[in-house]
Amino acid sequence: MDWGKVKFFLGEVLANLTRNAAMQITAIGTVAVAIAMLGAFLFVQRTAAAVSDQALQQIEVSAFLRDGLDAKADSALAARVGALPGVAHVTYVPKAQGLKQLRDKLRGEVDTSLLTTNPLPDTLRIQAKHVADVPEVAKTVKKLPGVVDVHYGAETVQKLMRLLDVAQRIGLAVIVLLVLASFQIVSNTIRLTVYSRRREISIMQLVGATNNYIRLPFIAEGIVAGVLGAALAVALLLVAQRELLPVVAQLIKFVPFPTQLPDLIPLAFQLLGVGALVGAIASWISVGRYLRV
Amino acid sequence: MAPEEAALIELSSVSLTYPNGVRALDAVDLKIEKGEFIFLVGHSGTGKSSLLRLLYREQVPSAGDVYVDGIAVHRMRAGAIPRLRRNVGVVFQDFKLLSGKTVWENVAFALQVTGARTKDVMRQVPRCLDLVGLAQKSRMFPHELSGGEQQRTAIARALVNNPKILLCDEPTGNLDPSTTTEIMELLQRINTKGTTVVVATHNRAVVDRMRKRVVRLENGRIVGDEERGFYFLGLGQGQVLSG
Repeated sequence: MDWGKVKFFLGEVLANLTRNAAMQITAIGTVAVAIAMLGAFLFVQRTAAAVSDQALQQIEVSAFLRDGLDAKADSALAARVGALPGVAHVTYVPKAQGLKQLRDKLRGEVDTSLLTTNPLPDTLRIQAKHVADVPEVAKTVKKLPGVVDVHYGAETVQKLMRLLDVAQRIGLAVIVLLVLASFQIVSNTIRLTVYSRRREISIMQLVGATNNYIRLPFIAEGIVAGVLGAALAVALLLVAQRELLPVVAQLIKFVPFPTQLPDLIPLAFQLLGVGALVGAIASWISVGRYLRV
Repeated sequence: MAPEEAALIELSSVSLTYPNGVRALDAVDLKIEKGEFIFLVGHSGTGKSSLLRLLYREQVPSAGDVYVDGIAVHRMRAGAIPRLRRNVGVVFQDFKLLSGKTVWENVAFALQVTGARTKDVMRQVPRCLDLVGLAQKSRMFPHELSGGEQQRTAIARALVNNPKILLCDEPTGNLDPSTTTEIMELLQRINTKGTTVVVATHNRAVVDRMRKRVVRLENGRIVGDEERGFYFLGLGQGQVLSG
């Protein structure tokens, strides 16, 4: 390890960073805002995905069976449904048990003592492997002999899936815009540094420094700016998660926040990576444009 | 010079036309042997600087061949330029020093940016500063130096990579006569140590005093080439080599 070389290189990077300190701070700030928004977005997206996963898992197909089938026929039917492709799990709920569950569910809200007869049919509660399988499973099950009717939240499922799709598209567009914006600003800042150091660069070229060597301190500058911005963003997000999220969760109780929040640590590393990458590519392009002339 | 040995610098039918249509060089043939000291003279705008720029590949000729130390400079890849430049030191009228760096740092910079080992930097920089007589002022900044000292710093920087060739574009253009003499003596000393020196100048006194090979350019053409020549050719006893 040649410490003299390391020292010289770090000196060059430091000179770059301090050359346009005000502009550099602006760039770091912009990267921070963009990446904080990106991070918040990813966080919300992941939370939404977790929420919808939870909601989707609760969607099941109820198959109502014809009255008067004996238990043997019922369990044979259950076994047949369970063997269908796309079916994850089948629970057989006899009418008596169904009524008991209903009474338990409504206890305290409705006077269930009024229910003197059992209006419920024997039911198969079917869980699909994937939400997308639900309509297909329902259709197949409905055709089976002994099944009177099937029921599932068809509308709800489809709406939810459409909503998710739209949200993801918008999210993707927002991410692209934000990354482009921070890219542009870092790139402009590096271009300023390159411009203010054009004498150094021309002398480097004169004495035979390779373009890659000339580029290196600027790339490092970009990476430092990107990572500093991202670090600032991560800090912001951590504070927001700790201070803001419980308040928000209190305010919008109807959104079932998943009990297990997505872990912020992998997200933090991803954001730092994005910051570094944005800085590196932006400065590569800025310096490259200058060196080609 | 042994004729069978390839010249260190060789231009054959070199023309250079700038994008704005100005014809800077027109069918120039020139050979410079290893170890020579040569003046390029002529009015400003006659192509002296353009010729030098071809030699360190700042310019590419519009036509013709340029060989420097065996390298076909006229058709080299951009990626090969750094290697050439480490073999060709360049000094300018305006010194082109970095104002934020000390004398030592300015000289060391030329080595450091080529990725030289610190060991070599520590050896080469004092050697060059000694050579140009600035060892005592190595910690000063360019603005604390006289013009002559700044040019010495620039020369030390040009030499720190141990180039075979030193190109000087009006090296004394900003200097007073006595400093000019000092700088020319320094260039002479560098030449006797084996470095080939090419000086573009329109300083008549310098050329006439030094009595070196003189190549005269007019409107982009070589109009005179004389050993031990004068600024205005034909005044000396030297033999006219080409016209």
